[in-house]
Amino acid sequence: MESLLLDPFEADFMQNAALAAILVGVLCGTVGCFVVMRGTALLAESVAHGVLPGVAAAVLLTAGTSGDPHKAAILCGALAGGVLTAAGSAMILRRTRLREDTATAVMFVFMLALGVVLISRVDGFAVDLTSFLFGDVLSVPDWEVALTAGLAAVVLVTLWALYRPFVLVSFDRRRAASLGVPVERTELALMVLLAVAVVVGFTVVGALLVLGLLIAPPAAAALLTKRLPSMMAVSALIAAASGPLGLLVSWHFEVAAGASIVLVALAAFAVIAVLRPVR
Amino acid sequence: MSTILTARDLTVRYGDVVALEAVDVEVPRGTSIAVLGPNGSGKSTLFAAAVGLNTPVAGEITLGTDRIAYLPQQVAVEPMFPATVRDVVAMGRWGALGWRQRLSDRDRELVAQAMHALAVDHLAVRRLGELSGGQRQRALLAQVAAQDAELLLLDEPFTGVDRPTEETVRTLIGTWRDEGRTVMVATHDLARAARDYDLILALNRRLIAFGPAAETCTEEVLAATFAGHVARVGGLLIETEHRHPGAG
Repeated sequence: MESLLLDPFEADFMQNAALAAILVGVLCGTVGCFVVMRGTALLAESVAHGVLPGVAAAVLLTAGTSGDPHKAAILCGALAGGVLTAAGSAMILRRTRLREDTATAVMFVFMLALGVVLISRVDGFAVDLTSFLFGDVLSVPDWEVALTAGLAAVVLVTLWALYRPFVLVSFDRRRAASLGVPVERTELALMVLLAVAVVVGFTVVGALLVLGLLIAPPAAAALLTKRLPSMMAVSALIAAASGPLGLLVSWHFEVAAGASIVLVALAAFAVIAVLRPVR
Repeated sequence: MSTILTARDLTVRYGDVVALEAVDVEVPRGTSIAVLGPNGSGKSTLFAAAVGLNTPVAGEITLGTDRIAYLPQQVAVEPMFPATVRDVVAMGRWGALGWRQRLSDRDRELVAQAMHALAVDHLAVRRLGELSGGQRQRALLAQVAAQDAELLLLDEPFTGVDRPTEETVRTLIGTWRDEGRTVMVATHDLARAARDYDLILALNRRLIAFGPAAETCTEEVLAATFAGHVARVGGLLIETEHRHPGAG
């Protein structure tokens, strides 16, 4: 039994994968609590896909239509794409007074279409696109683990420092304004944190699946807890544990690693949803 | 008597819709004011402008205090929002604290007093989303009470509450006023407005009248405020349904 659990992690690439997955789990599990309690899952999905044109633009700028793209440029492009998606949704919402899901969906399809158009200008991007969509956790180098740890630390410290403004704008932006919170700047900061979590997450589980880590663990935690601090702790724990457990599933059943991590997180949600007493 | 809220030529638009137009008013400190008007007459917009939630296209609104408490008309909290009633009430103290400063003994006392005044102490560990509409409104009013504000803006606080809660809130408004606070309440209850408040502020996008009930609760003022949508039933003035499109 012990060898089943530990032997896979003797390989260096599996150790890096596990470490990166745990860090991404803590990050997404924590930031995702704000997504779930604000009811902005579609916005998170939109940001996750909004990184695509940023990635494609970074590839075009650093590698031209062929050649090797610069990894750091890809991360910066992804971050810019994610923030642009969130800011664009907010701008459409403010200028048109459309429903929030409509404004978000408009920006979502625009960024996705723009991404596909830019990708069509890049030769041989199909393989990179697969890793973009489904992640490449088994080939995370040391420097990327360190970068993930650094970005996760920055996001968590920001969440700690701005906890009250973030909770107040999530509770009711009008009440937040009357309590002296700069509502629009606070919401923008929250969007940037979401974009950073998405960018860090997509390198591990991919853009398509990062939403799973942002939603499933906080949703499971919401079923078990009544208060935000405990919800964040439980969510981070579930998301972090999903990493190594998903990698074990991937190793033993020879299936995709990123998707296995997300499936473990979703399984945790399903088990909790079924077993918890109905209130 | 000093002024706690001053609007000068205040004009607010939502797109092409004029919500408030050239409103001039000076609200004296330490009074209770019923803000009357039909749906869409600009009552909520006036409160939102006071807390900086909308930007006037002309004119200005200034406050004589930074201790403001505002209860919006409808607070649509996610049912699974992870906060107990005590957490929600304590949020009322956060505005007076720094972003990381812990609640002092005085803050905890204000939270406890507010929960007791609104009779939500027995709901302290329940999640807000688990409460009935009336219980939720009491918890939100307790959050407002915990703010210990000088100016309280309550947008239709009696909506969805039962009769005992309504009486509790009326008593509380009287207490706040007696303590020297200024309480502005948006309401449709014409009879209560005339009886329970020091001043009436009648709005219909423009300021129709502002002053004591004896001067403002005339049939002419109410007809102008409600654009003819007021009926006299026995001794009571009743507002009938009327709404401007788009305005808040």
